Amino acid sequence: MKNRILIVDDSFYMRTMLKNMLTDAGYEVVGEAANGQQALEMATATRPDLITLDVILPDNTGLDVLKGIRQEQPEVKVVMCSAVGQEVIVNEALESGATAYIVKPFSEEKVLEIVGAALQDASSDQA
Amino acid sequence: MKSREQEYREIFMAEALEYYDAMSRHISELERNPGDEPALNELFRLMHNLKSNARAMGYNPIGEVAHHMETIFGLIRDKEKTFTGSVVPVLFGGIDTIGEMIRAVGENEDLPEVRRLLDNLDRLVKGEEPNLEDEEEDDDEDVSRKLELSDLVYIQVRKLDHLMNLVGELIIDRDRILTLSKEIGSQALTTAAAHLSRIADELQYSVMDARLVGVGSLFSKFPRVVRDVATAEQKDVELTMTGEDIQIDRNILQIITDALLHLVRNAIGHGLETPAERVAAGKPAQGHLLLSAQAERDDVLVRVQDDGRGINVESVRRKAVERGLVSAAAAAGLPDDAVRAFLFEPGFSMAKEVTEISGRGVGLDVVKLAIDSLGGQLRVSSVLGEGTTFTLVLPTSIAVKGALLFELENRNYAIPLMHTDSVVSLLPEDFHVVGGLLLTRIQDENVPVVALRRLLHNGDGPLPPAVKADLSGRQDIIIVNYNNRRLGLIVDRFLRQQDIVVKPMSKPLDTIDLFGGVTLLGSGQVCLVLDVPALTRLFLAKRP
Repeated sequence: MKNRILIVDDSFYMRTMLKNMLTDAGYEVVGEAANGQQALEMATATRPDLITLDVILPDNTGLDVLKGIRQEQPEVKVVMCSAVGQEVIVNEALESGATAYIVKPFSEEKVLEIVGAALQDASSDQA
Repeated sequence: MKSREQEYREIFMAEALEYYDAMSRHISELERNPGDEPALNELFRLMHNLKSNARAMGYNPIGEVAHHMETIFGLIRDKEKTFTGSVVPVLFGGIDTIGEMIRAVGENEDLPEVRRLLDNLDRLVKGEEPNLEDEEEDDDEDVSRKLELSDLVYIQVRKLDHLMNLVGELIIDRDRILTLSKEIGSQALTTAAAHLSRIADELQYSVMDARLVGVGSLFSKFPRVVRDVATAEQKDVELTMTGEDIQIDRNILQIITDALLHLVRNAIGHGLETPAERVAAGKPAQGHLLLSAQAERDDVLVRVQDDGRGINVESVRRKAVERGLVSAAAAAGLPDDAVRAFLFEPGFSMAKEVTEISGRGVGLDVVKLAIDSLGGQLRVSSVLGEGTTFTLVLPTSIAVKGALLFELENRNYAIPLMHTDSVVSLLPEDFHVVGGLLLTRIQDENVPVVALRRLLHNGDGPLPPAVKADLSGRQDIIIVNYNNRRLGLIVDRFLRQQDIVVKPMSKPLDTIDLFGGVTLLGSGQVCLVLDVPALTRLFLAKRP
């Protein structure tokens, strides 16, 4: 079965690019959220295997969303998307349960590598 | 098939221009209230996204500038810097530069101001004073920049245009089938036609609806414009906007963009007084400008209202006579509204001197033409010493118009309801002839009346003097109204009121400017749509 992914990013451009990369690689993108509230709602509604989560979002910070999702779905893998210079937030995110992080601007290979590895974790955990 | 590269580029552009608009708005908010945290957070977030997206696209210069801007906004957010002093002009200028860079993407991105901006941002981070000496020179250009609406609503407008055209064709065929089904009289066909008709109506409504955007998407550009123009004109202006949610066709908004820009510049440049003049006149020092939108039946009213010095009707009257637009005797008897309408005549500018802001070769006549091209109306009202209001009466949607259908010499014509005041049936004794001109009294006003047949077929010369004996029996007359001038058109027979889909005329007929287009009726007949502004001008030129 295809792994199901939810994309959270406030930029339509970023979402489109991620969606294309992931879909081309054979993942199923189950939803796209543009802000924290949408992200929480869609995470509940779609129960994805993995979420790509932008660090800066309009309403909440990405961190609040991460904590919200973690409470409800401890098993979901979360890959933080950040930019250079946000190491502090990224560290806090990893401490709060993020699985991995990608630094923008990212290449297709990098995204697939990190997403693939994060999901690998998932299957080995379950095994 | 579009390449993915091209798709990314289009999305990047659309989003980047949206960010630019939003940043322009938020930085004006921040200037009004330097402690506005939501505005600051948004500036930071949008700049951050722009940086990430630009870098992903490989537009490194934009990424670089956005990165440095983001850093400063970050410092302000973290209270390490304040949005005061020389920081303000650098960041305002920075957002402008970013706007230019976005629009120039793929072209020469090496704008000279980019290097200066980066240098200044660098100085700000280090706590040094930025280098602002050349700013003055750039002001002219900043103030006169064009406003542009995004071409993408995540769907290209031209696709919506195409869809709208197809719906137009469908509506015409629907009317045809309805007519046929009545003629044939089959119950099954009538039922099917009624169903088709309902679906077609709904489709038409949906497509029109998909093209609607909030007036706010244009209004949101004005806080920045007002600030810049007010600064350049040394006026103190407070802008209020209402009705941003009112919906209107996106292309109409595009067409009125320049007109609105002109009216706003005019209001600040000529309408509002300087703070000193205002205080001397017993008014608050700060001038007030209201930009409002309001829905009224099928129209949208957009108003630009200032509380400035108002229009001096007597000086307009004098100038109209000087320019030979009207005789001194006629001018003396004209009501104030009719006098103000002269402001919209070509080349009629009231400004004593051409100022930097408003004197860019566009007069109110150009504003008027833009509104006319939409089948809209431009009105002005003013009280001397208290202010001026320009009102744009706009259709909500371009494609479908309410029209009055009538018959002339066994042919069908349509006239848009937008320009129709009333229809009357009058007997010969209701008319009188003055100076070769046929007149009738409508609501206590003498309205000139002309046989449309005469006006259309008269050739180049002036119209022959009207003779009352030519009139026999009841006359069907359509009273049209353009620019506060009423004119009665005698037609053979009124038919009915109907929504029509106006199509542009094909060549070579498109040179005949008396017709705004054609429409097809349910019967399949072609019907010409009269252009009331052009007809009124023709009548004024040819009146006996």
